[in-house]
Amino acid sequence: MQGGSSGIGYGLKYQARCISDVKADTDHTSFLTGTLSLKEENEVHLLRLSSGGSELVCEGLFSHPNEIWDLASCPFDQRIFSTVFSTGESFGAAIWQIPEPYGQSNSSTLDCVASLDAHVGKINCVLWCPSGKSDKLISMDEQNLVLWSLDSSKKSAEVVSKESAGMRHSLSGGAWNPHDVNSVAATSESSIQFWDLRTMKNVNSIERAHVRNVDYNTKREHILVTADDESGIHIWDLRKAKAPVQELPGHTHWTWAVRCNPEYEELILSVGTDSAVNLWFASASSEKQASERSAEASRQRVNPLLNSYTDYEDSVYGLAWSSREPWFFASLSYDGRVVIESVKPFLPRR
Amino acid sequence: MATEAAPMDEKAKRMRDLLSSFYTPDPSISTPTSSISTSFDNINGPSFDADQYMDLMIKKSNLDVLLQRHVQMAAEIKNLDTDLQMLVYENYNKFISATDTIKRMKSNIFGMEGNMDQLLHKIMSVQSRSDGVNTSLFEKREHIEKLHRTRNLLRKVQQFIYDLPARLQKCIKSEAYGDAVRFYTGAMPILKVYGDTSFKDCRRASEEAIETIIKNLQTKLFSDSESIQARAEAAVLLKQLDVPVDSLKDKLLEKLEQSLDGLQINPDEASKLAEHNVSSKDEESNNQGPAKIHEDAVRGFSEAMRAYREIFPDSEERLFKLARALTTTHFENMELYIRKRVSAADFLGIFRIIWEDVVLMDEVLPEAALSDLSAEAAQVTLKQFVARTFSHLQQDISDTLLKFDINQKEVVDGEVLKVVLEASGKAEFRQLLDENTGIFVKMNDLLIGWIQKGFQDFFRSLESHFLVLSGKTSSSNETEGLVEGKSSEKIHAGLILVLAQLSVVIEQKVIPRIAEEITASFSGGNSQAFIPGELCRVFHAASEKLLQHYIDTRTQKISNVLRKRFKTPNWVKHKEPREVHMYVDMLLQQLEEVGKEVKQILPQGTFRKHKRSDSNGSNTTTSSRSTTLHSDKMARSNSQRARSQLFETHLAKLFKQKVEIFTKVEFTQESVVTTTVKLCLKSLQEYVRLQTFNRSGFQQIQLDIQFLKAPLKETVEDEAAIDFLLDEVIVAASERCLDVTPLEPPILDKLIQAKLAKSKEHNNNNNKTTVSS
Repeated sequence: MQGGSSGIGYGLKYQARCISDVKADTDHTSFLTGTLSLKEENEVHLLRLSSGGSELVCEGLFSHPNEIWDLASCPFDQRIFSTVFSTGESFGAAIWQIPEPYGQSNSSTLDCVASLDAHVGKINCVLWCPSGKSDKLISMDEQNLVLWSLDSSKKSAEVVSKESAGMRHSLSGGAWNPHDVNSVAATSESSIQFWDLRTMKNVNSIERAHVRNVDYNTKREHILVTADDESGIHIWDLRKAKAPVQELPGHTHWTWAVRCNPEYEELILSVGTDSAVNLWFASASSEKQASERSAEASRQRVNPLLNSYTDYEDSVYGLAWSSREPWFFASLSYDGRVVIESVKPFLPRR
Repeated sequence: MATEAAPMDEKAKRMRDLLSSFYTPDPSISTPTSSISTSFDNINGPSFDADQYMDLMIKKSNLDVLLQRHVQMAAEIKNLDTDLQMLVYENYNKFISATDTIKRMKSNIFGMEGNMDQLLHKIMSVQSRSDGVNTSLFEKREHIEKLHRTRNLLRKVQQFIYDLPARLQKCIKSEAYGDAVRFYTGAMPILKVYGDTSFKDCRRASEEAIETIIKNLQTKLFSDSESIQARAEAAVLLKQLDVPVDSLKDKLLEKLEQSLDGLQINPDEASKLAEHNVSSKDEESNNQGPAKIHEDAVRGFSEAMRAYREIFPDSEERLFKLARALTTTHFENMELYIRKRVSAADFLGIFRIIWEDVVLMDEVLPEAALSDLSAEAAQVTLKQFVARTFSHLQQDISDTLLKFDINQKEVVDGEVLKVVLEASGKAEFRQLLDENTGIFVKMNDLLIGWIQKGFQDFFRSLESHFLVLSGKTSSSNETEGLVEGKSSEKIHAGLILVLAQLSVVIEQKVIPRIAEEITASFSGGNSQAFIPGELCRVFHAASEKLLQHYIDTRTQKISNVLRKRFKTPNWVKHKEPREVHMYVDMLLQQLEEVGKEVKQILPQGTFRKHKRSDSNGSNTTTSSRSTTLHSDKMARSNSQRARSQLFETHLAKLFKQKVEIFTKVEFTQESVVTTTVKLCLKSLQEYVRLQTFNRSGFQQIQLDIQFLKAPLKETVEDEAAIDFLLDEVIVAASERCLDVTPLEPPILDKLIQAKLAKSKEHNNNNNKTTVSS
């Protein structure tokens, strides 16, 4: 595949793993990214795509006390985001607010809104409630699932409920169901667990070992996409969770993350440790199209892979679609390079 | 008067003679015979001479005699005289009475004329009267005459009917049922009408007789020993007797149906049948083979059908149905039969038999359209057979594969399978084509189409079967689970590799070969269903997929080892490294296994050094990369000697061209091993990146990697890439390390030597134990 000649690059100073779309920013296509450096001063970059879509501008650069393992932007306030960080020996999670006005100073400090300090072990991720208005948060470590209620004006976060998944299930990440705010999918060593937040109980699970990443299809209910080390990408219909609806080959090495496009339901992005970003076309996300699919099956079978962006120097860990302009996505490779690509040439005709 | 003359004796006689001579005018004529003899002595004779007689008398006789004579003569004369007188008198009387009569007649005749006329008249009137009567009574008389005749007839009939029972009995005795039936049917109407009257007994008797006849006929009809002719006759007779033939027919046909069971080709015996059919060609002496028996049976059946058809012309429908039923059951049985494994020869044998049967039946019942029916059925069966053969072929292959699974040590090469594929492929279907039984000729084109399509489908399903076997596709979860459950992980991986290699063989050798075969012997079909190009593509894709899958499963296992290794300890609080960690052994062992499997199965590739990828060398990204990173670092950490070593490698990495880690896998031992090692090292790197190390933790990694270097380089063709990746691991570890202080080379060396010695000893021990055992 050809490397993305259309890609817009931006270099971070240090290595980095995570990038997030700033969903609440309705005026610009922005991304937040944070560096991962054990020994150096870590930074959070607020990047904005220029209106022409040809340039990636650093809108803000904020220092962050520790290396950032996970970063998520608040869906209702563009200035608020969460990070999961590590001091090298221990993990922590916090909610931050970008100081106002953030455009001027080059390296201003962040205001800490709240510290999510109910964890002991390795924290994996912080999830924002996808409904957009709710102030609920979930933080996840290897054993526990904690539901927080955030009050940004009082700068406090309270634990609503906390539940242990048990020692044997080492949780590694998760996704909040955009169709049902009471449901969260969490990946563990041996399965994908579905938690009901009202009862804080594991209500359902799909047996699947070593799932690395999971994402809900925002357009289609019941459709879940997972990535695992071993056999690439699987698309599940949660109503019949015995077997995946569709399989995609994934990457040459591990498939690190998958993201469904927020607008075009068939488009799925994946990034992998083989230094590539793959764009997939998966129309099998609903059984309604099953018959249609069988007719087209041969064609689809030949190539569900629309494009592979291979112009990366290192493993790619960070991936985010822009929710404002859903044909843009940002990818972040370990060497700290952000690349924005447009998938416009591959958009399905409507 | 005559009666009085009787006692007259001689005297009277003589008298009469005399009298008659008197009446006779010429006495010489009336008594010619007596006259001569008595000429002298006979006084009565005509030639009597009185003088002579006197002389004679005197001379001869004395006086007395003469006197006596004289007296006698005188008496006689006297007598004669009276007699004469009497005679005259009598005649006179007669004459008188005659005249009286005549006188009376004369008076009577008088007036007769008138009477006569009267008489005539009367007679005339009588005649006319009688004519009148005659004419007036003519019709009645005619009628009476007719009635009379009828009566005679009736009498005869009566006689006949009275005789009927007896006659029937006689017929029964002589088994002349035909006559009996004729008689009975003749008498039938009479019996029917007058049966209640005077013929009652008669009727009963004859009915009884007829009943026995019917019974006899029925038994005759049903007995198989009787000739068809006889049975047909019996049926006809029964029909004449108004016995409900339909039920009879039903019974018969039922029997025929039952006999169908006997005609069926039992799937179990079918093979025997087929064998015999084949062998009987060789040795004609063996005529009693089941095939022969079967043929006879069918012949008998068709004969029976022919007969029944003649007997019951209205039963054709039933017969058609029967014949069709037989044909269908034949084909059904055939289907059952081919459900098991059948060689083409056997199949053809059976097919031939069936076809012969059909031809036989078709001769009898051409209207039943049996040949059409069987052609249709044959098409279905044949199609099934083709499909089945293919599925058997596939079964064979998977069996062989699973067998391979079990004794993996034996080098079962793809060649074996290839041979299986080719041999069965061609031979079976050639044979089918060579067969020129009528039906096959018709279906040749179709057959070719099927075979081509069969091959196409076969290869397609084979491909998917491979994928299922390899556990790659989860299209059917059960099978996947089954396969996975059945074979342990290790065997599984080997199997995948075999499948991959097999796919290559199929792509490169088998498909072209089959394509050749098809053009050679199966061409001419309308549709070109067999598309070698497409199949090659499919298998090419499958082989790549499978190879990839093999590498995946292999690396996954190694990845699991690594995962455990990196998840368990707390790297931040790691203790000082004392020896090379044992996961390295496991890693090497796994790689060794891969090497072994690969050596068994894949061909050796031409050795060549890894080529740097030259495709996407140029960076087209509009990068605003901050390249200050490493130089900054370097400046800051310049003071520490040991650290600077690391950063040299960092720098070196910068200036090295990007090493392509993920090259395309080729079907060579080296390529597969290299790829596996590369992927493992990449995983190692990724795991390292997820951890944070203290100094000892880093040193442990350093030690392990250092140890790995030598054995890995031995196994892998692309040393540069391995070097690069190992360095990458070290770099990653150093990046994730809080306090980077590498081990001093002497210590490193010492620890590695210790490990080597240990593993050597271990190996020796192992060898010893294996030798001793």
